[in-house]
Amino acid sequence: MHLTRRDFTRTVLVGGAGLGLGFPAVLRRAHAAEPIKIGVPTVLSGGNVQYGNQAKRACELFADDIRARGGLLGRPVEFVFEDTASDPATAVRRAQKLVEKDGVKFLTGVVLSSEALAVSAKCPEWKTLFMSSFTGTGALTSTKFNRYSFRPNTSGPMGARTVSLYLQESPLKRFFGLGSDYAWGRDSVGSFQRQMTAGKKEIVGTDFPPVGTKDFASYIAKIKQAKAEGCFLVLVGQDASIFFKQAAQFGLTREVKLVMEIVELENMKAVGDAMQGVIGGSRYPFTVDTPKNRDWVKRFHAKFNLWPDMFDGETYQALEWLTQAIAAAGTDDVEKVIAALEDSTYEAPEGKRVMRKCDHQAVKATWIVEAVRDAAYPHLAPKILATFPGERVTPKCRTEEFA
Amino acid sequence: MSPTIVVEQLLNAAALSALLFLVSVGLSLVFGILRVVNFAHGMFYMLGAYVGYAVAVRSGSFWLGLVVAPPVVGLLGAALETFTLRFIYRRPPIYQVLLTFGLSLILEEAVRIVWGATAKSVDAPEWLQGSLLLVGAPYPRYRLFLIALGGLVAAALWLFLTRTRAGLLIRAVAQNAEMAGCLGTDVRRVRTAVFGLACALAGLGGVVAAPMLSAYLGMGIAVIVDAFVVVVIGGLGSFGGSIAGSVIVGAAQTWGNFFVSEIAMAIMYAVMAAILVFRPWGLFGEEE
Repeated sequence: MHLTRRDFTRTVLVGGAGLGLGFPAVLRRAHAAEPIKIGVPTVLSGGNVQYGNQAKRACELFADDIRARGGLLGRPVEFVFEDTASDPATAVRRAQKLVEKDGVKFLTGVVLSSEALAVSAKCPEWKTLFMSSFTGTGALTSTKFNRYSFRPNTSGPMGARTVSLYLQESPLKRFFGLGSDYAWGRDSVGSFQRQMTAGKKEIVGTDFPPVGTKDFASYIAKIKQAKAEGCFLVLVGQDASIFFKQAAQFGLTREVKLVMEIVELENMKAVGDAMQGVIGGSRYPFTVDTPKNRDWVKRFHAKFNLWPDMFDGETYQALEWLTQAIAAAGTDDVEKVIAALEDSTYEAPEGKRVMRKCDHQAVKATWIVEAVRDAAYPHLAPKILATFPGERVTPKCRTEEFA
Repeated sequence: MSPTIVVEQLLNAAALSALLFLVSVGLSLVFGILRVVNFAHGMFYMLGAYVGYAVAVRSGSFWLGLVVAPPVVGLLGAALETFTLRFIYRRPPIYQVLLTFGLSLILEEAVRIVWGATAKSVDAPEWLQGSLLLVGAPYPRYRLFLIALGGLVAAALWLFLTRTRAGLLIRAVAQNAEMAGCLGTDVRRVRTAVFGLACALAGLGGVVAAPMLSAYLGMGIAVIVDAFVVVVIGGLGSFGGSIAGSVIVGAAQTWGNFFVSEIAMAIMYAVMAAILVFRPWGLFGEEE
């Protein structure tokens, strides 16, 4: 069989380089070692690019790691990136290109829930497996469930549940809910409101500033006016950063306990000390204190000279779980990998996770963290206040309801 | 409602009005003198924010950015007027709309290429960062600075337009460009200068907006929509009108967001529509 020049270079670059194999060995492996390709249609331009960067970093580190282990099923693993520009239609087009032109059988790293739902809906037709790592919307594992999509990460309802459980036990009684004016913000504030009122706490007001709001002065005045003791915040990345700066200037941070559905490192970096003392949920705080996690964080920092954010971790973990299933199936045949993923157990940095067969949602732990100054880091860092086990925060099968 | 919140909201409205004034006064001036509706005006505001950011980051001084950015943006504006707009004053207005709209797209892309797509946060100088106790509650110093700056610029502009020879020429061209030309005024130079001045003012608005709102793509579009509402309310080409319009729009947005945030935007447009019905030429504009 003739080996084309391109096949040859690719194999050497991806599979051979760094392994220190002899030249003839590379040639011999080349026939069998068709790479296993993972498609990453993520946000590489525009306002959400920091999330796409997280997906990319996780893939790069994972590529290093799997190369060091000699690949997967004796084959190299290759990542192919495409830019979705935060647009669901573009995301579907790019994903289709990945499937049809690049021949990927696995997709991950999709950032927005809207993009993920659009891509996931196509996966049965494409016979492609979608491994979510960002997707928050409850629908992915309830009303829009399909057997080609898996969520190893924390969902939005799980995040709201975590914060509600934590605040039930706090002495604070009066809460205000402020969420970005779109599906995620409204869903989460609604879910928070239901759970808090059921728990005898008072919701003194809710409001929904449009995505991209730059001046929160009026909203801050309203939270003060409502005499809230705590404020639940569901704001997208940049909006959250701006909100915190202004909240500190208006003295809101001192008067009212600010609680976020998710506390991202990116916010802590952007806002700085004005965010000190803010608490909230975390899908993955890099400060989880287990040997596996400490080791991973160390290697991540060594490669990027950065401390990993939530989705750096969630994407890496999704990849680890996916490739574990491919290894267990002994093939990259999608149907067999699906069977291997269902009801599988994965040793995550924090402990065991189980992939439920009934809705493909991982039963996994969630955290409450506080943004604190820590001399070990150049910026604020998440200090873990509480860990909630998967059984308490994962919704009932194919629903967004909790037992 | 506690008095603290009333005071706070009044000041918030004033700070927003000050920003709106810096942008809309240029838009209004340009229309008065050049008879052009400048769709690219918001982009000069954005450019000011980014140039100010770039200077502040390199020099470590916000003030240097504040001094450097407006003239840079102003010169760029004057150059664009000289090389593009100047040739189509006599054409139907749709040409000018198309041209300035095209310029705005080019400027926005240029900013994206130079500074990237992510927003830049700009720090105010140390002594403006904290807050001041007002009626028993902390109020951000930076917003007080914005209010003062807006007032200062308004006063300086008014003196310039009414008490200097250059201001006299500008008013003459605004009233009757042909007659002013016949009497020996170089109308072309006045137009270029006014366009440059308007861009510089927008640039100044951008520099001072950045610490409050951050510098981001899309800030130009966001502000131009509000600025159009301001000049429609106040009257195109009227200096007093842009002050009045800014105050009205600033107040409508601030209080609208406070009481009925869902329809805050609608309130602003309702005010505009009402004024269009009863005084189509705006509060301070002249009937044509």
